Amino acid sequence: MLNPILAFSATRRMRSFKTMLIVIAYMAALLLISFAFLSPFLKEDIGLGSLTRSPLCYMALLAGQFVLIILIAPAMTAGAIAGERERQTLDLLLVTNTGSFRIVTGKIMESFAMLGLLIVCGLPVMSLCLLTGGVTVPQILLGELFLLAEAFACISVGVFCSSVCRSTVVSTIVSYVAILLFGLVTALPFLFGYPQHITDIVYDRAQYAALDAAGARQMISPLLYLNPGFGLISLVQGQTHAFSSLTENLGWGRLLCTWRMADRAGWNFIALVCVGCMLAVAAVLLVLAAVMIRRKKTAAKS
Amino acid sequence: MLKIEHLSKNYGGFTALRDLSLEIPAGALHGFVGPNGAGKTTTMRILATLMKPTSGTAYVDGTDIIRDGQKTRKLIGYMPDFFGVYDNLKCWEYLDFYARCYRIGQAERKRMSRQLLELVQLEEKENEYVEALSRGMKQRLCLARSLIHDPKLLILDEPASGMDPRARAEMKSILRTLREMNKTVLISSHILPELAEMCDSLTILDHGELVFSGGVNELSDKMNGNAPLDIRLAEDGGEESVENAVRCLKELPAVTEILREEPYLLRVRLAEGADCPEVLRLLVTRGVPVCDFHRAPMNLEKVFMEVTQDA
Repeated sequence: MLNPILAFSATRRMRSFKTMLIVIAYMAALLLISFAFLSPFLKEDIGLGSLTRSPLCYMALLAGQFVLIILIAPAMTAGAIAGERERQTLDLLLVTNTGSFRIVTGKIMESFAMLGLLIVCGLPVMSLCLLTGGVTVPQILLGELFLLAEAFACISVGVFCSSVCRSTVVSTIVSYVAILLFGLVTALPFLFGYPQHITDIVYDRAQYAALDAAGARQMISPLLYLNPGFGLISLVQGQTHAFSSLTENLGWGRLLCTWRMADRAGWNFIALVCVGCMLAVAAVLLVLAAVMIRRKKTAAKS
Repeated sequence: MLKIEHLSKNYGGFTALRDLSLEIPAGALHGFVGPNGAGKTTTMRILATLMKPTSGTAYVDGTDIIRDGQKTRKLIGYMPDFFGVYDNLKCWEYLDFYARCYRIGQAERKRMSRQLLELVQLEEKENEYVEALSRGMKQRLCLARSLIHDPKLLILDEPASGMDPRARAEMKSILRTLREMNKTVLISSHILPELAEMCDSLTILDHGELVFSGGVNELSDKMNGNAPLDIRLAEDGGEESVENAVRCLKELPAVTEILREEPYLLRVRLAEGADCPEVLRLLVTRGVPVCDFHRAPMNLEKVFMEVTQDA
């Protein structure tokens, strides 16, 4: 039987006027981005330089959706459980045979369906890049899959915070802060220098040439694999090699170290591990949210 | 149907419920009465598997509510003292949603929803949005929700709170129908007379402790046995007869309190188990002109105040 929370919440969400507005606003934002990059194609005199705009547009659309998902997901999910508490309907759900895990999965699936709808709605806009060349269908589909994984992770953070916090407002704030902190903490390796032996390998042409992918993967800080932003950059670099010229800039210090390690480790591999990490974090948060629902009950009145 | 064994609940240092034990037979309509903070809601939330007790347990139709929460939830229908509303949802969808939560099949869901809306007299509101219903209607819809999986035991936490007299009467009528359907109903209120009208038996809680449990008549009889004596004296005896009566009464060790309610009416409170005829005998032998001697009538409100005050 279909998860009742999913069916019921989806019905309510689709009846809301707000949902339609969100879809329109999301599409409008993507169209604006694509127009900014592809507008030269509307003119008659297209130079060779304009042809590079298509991959750039693809990257900008991916980055734009990446940011939009981070902005939308917490706002969408913060009330998932906290809202039930505020409406005093959580107890009514908990006395049914729907377990707390099913409640959480229902809420996550419903929010995921909504974000999935937005991402799918963005596909036609992404497909505009196909018309002007430089981007392939598999690349766009892989980009969409990455965004879906990111959406799932952001939704899990939102639902987890919603299960911990009593009010929707607090839950929304905590979700944004948690996502921001997660992004900052996992980006910390960029700030710290690498050990001398790693720096030596990167700057010594002979040693760097002898370094294999497995060795490079071990040298990259594990925290970086958890960073969705780094995952997105890896995906784009793996697909388009748009940032290849950066590896030649030896003045970039520790950033160059990371970049060259990642280049050797394989960009697609890093993107894949990042997706795996996001899904793993989401799964852990999902289980924790289910546990928190039962623990954090509304105060008893007598 | 319901057996509660030594149930206790502490919140840190505060005891919300202390060693509660009671049994409710199948098909009974049992009232749970007590002032605010007595432990009614705590007990009901424990029975509804929403809260774990500090100690003790309870059995619903032989199922341990602590060990087998999942099975217990199939046996009980719970209606809290608030009504959580979902927006953008019609009445039939509301019931259908909760029926799905109980994993009831589609055909059965439709049948049950229709029957229950009829039972709570909301069949005409089937396609109306829930938020558009009046408070009384919402309460009735909430009752229908608690019945959607055909539970054996219904736990209703102050179902008539905030209702106008007409809505209360409708709720009572529905409860009578439920009794005819042989459902066991545990219903709470802080208004004793309201429950006494419709319940077979009552439990009175105060400060988390059981004060009384038994039949409604049993409670009245018990309390009437402790009711104060009203002694009316003949007016022609004058002030002297009143003073004489008070003097005589003070000689009796069983007399704990003497109040002069009216110029010639004395209200005398006796120790528990005291001999009433002895009081009358003494007054008559001393020549006090007694023209009326009886126990003061106790209404249920007074009984409630008396019982909870003693606790």
